[in-house]
Amino acid sequence: MSILTESSGQVLACPRCDTLAYSPRVHEGQKVLCHCCGSKIMAFKQNSIERTLALAVAGLIVALPAIFLPIIGVGFVGFYHQASLFDSILHLFDRGYWLIAFAVFLFTAAIPLIKLSGAFYLTWSIKRKRPKPALMKFFRSYHHLDSWTMLHVFVLGVVVSMYKLVDMADLSIGYGFAAFVFLQLCSTLVTVTLDHHYIWHYLEHHVDE
Amino acid sequence: MSSTARSSGLSICPRCHKLNPAVSGRHRCSRCHAYFYQRKPKSIEYTIAWTIAALVMFIPANMLPIMVVTTLGETEASTILEGIAKFITLGMYPVAVIVFIASFIVPLAKILGLVILVMGVREGEGLKSKQRTRLYFLVEFLGPWSMLDVFVVTLMAAVVKLGFLTSIEAGAGITYFTLMVIFTMFAAESFDPRLLWDNKYRIPNRNE
Repeated sequence: MSILTESSGQVLACPRCDTLAYSPRVHEGQKVLCHCCGSKIMAFKQNSIERTLALAVAGLIVALPAIFLPIIGVGFVGFYHQASLFDSILHLFDRGYWLIAFAVFLFTAAIPLIKLSGAFYLTWSIKRKRPKPALMKFFRSYHHLDSWTMLHVFVLGVVVSMYKLVDMADLSIGYGFAAFVFLQLCSTLVTVTLDHHYIWHYLEHHVDE
Repeated sequence: MSSTARSSGLSICPRCHKLNPAVSGRHRCSRCHAYFYQRKPKSIEYTIAWTIAALVMFIPANMLPIMVVTTLGETEASTILEGIAKFITLGMYPVAVIVFIASFIVPLAKILGLVILVMGVREGEGLKSKQRTRLYFLVEFLGPWSMLDVFVVTLMAAVVKLGFLTSIEAGAGITYFTLMVIFTMFAAESFDPRLLWDNKYRIPNRNE
């Protein structure tokens, strides 16, 4: 993990304000901030590949229970009903809100899953030292996935729903909610640990097209 | 004033952040082979268009009911603001505040922020450029939080199906609400924050 240290003195540009800067010698755990607008230009993260790989695997393991296990259930004098994220999406689809169903499916299930599988595939290929040219193409669009992942908002949504339901009926919390919180944690941590600069640097030197 | 990539005849690739020699028109990144431009083309026009679209969606999103509750045969439809009012009457102030911020304040703040940013580009580089860049960070960060109410309704509609006692259905308002959130996110993505730092009075680039 010392590709970047040899290339200190390289010129970087801030993606936010276009200011040029000479990169100082960066060590693991340090980051470079733009002296003009204060944005983060790059961060050299510790054990980025290993940590991302572990978190992506963990996230993928809890993804299926998070989507298919019931998140919350309500009961009232003999009636009981519970629903998972998947049930919620199907319900919206049934009632003709197919646009919303599709949006909810994308933001809370599809995009997070693509993001985690992508992070897994990237780090696994780099760990096994078998990067393919297709990785570059994929990684080019990867940063868009982060801004359209809305797991954190959904978790808050579940909490707000609990508040709404608690005085209406007997509320029970399913295993799906625990799995979902874990999925959200893994997804956020993957964003934190993935070192874009390192991966681009690696791909540039190890992929020949 | 420090030099920018543009004034040094360079362009930064928006995908992999590699510096490429600037050319006029379309660039092709030497590292990731993505096509890009030195500045997002027609960035301001797209930002304004998406912002107006979001503002238009904001009206039906708040006028139409987002949740329809049926209790013992009685149907009660409520809009976002009515839902918040109910929280207040029930005494659940923290939730009321969270929902009010996420579904009313945040969308308006995002739209207002985008308008301020678009106005800021006309002034070019100056003392306020740093604050405006921070504002752009904020607009980007706030992006998805307004989806909160849509997720709440989605989940409640699926969970609350207690026979004749009570059931909850989604209302037409959530379609417009979701569209509004997506449009503001598109608006933020269309905006190029580097335009806040470009000085119009300097010779912009040295393209051959």
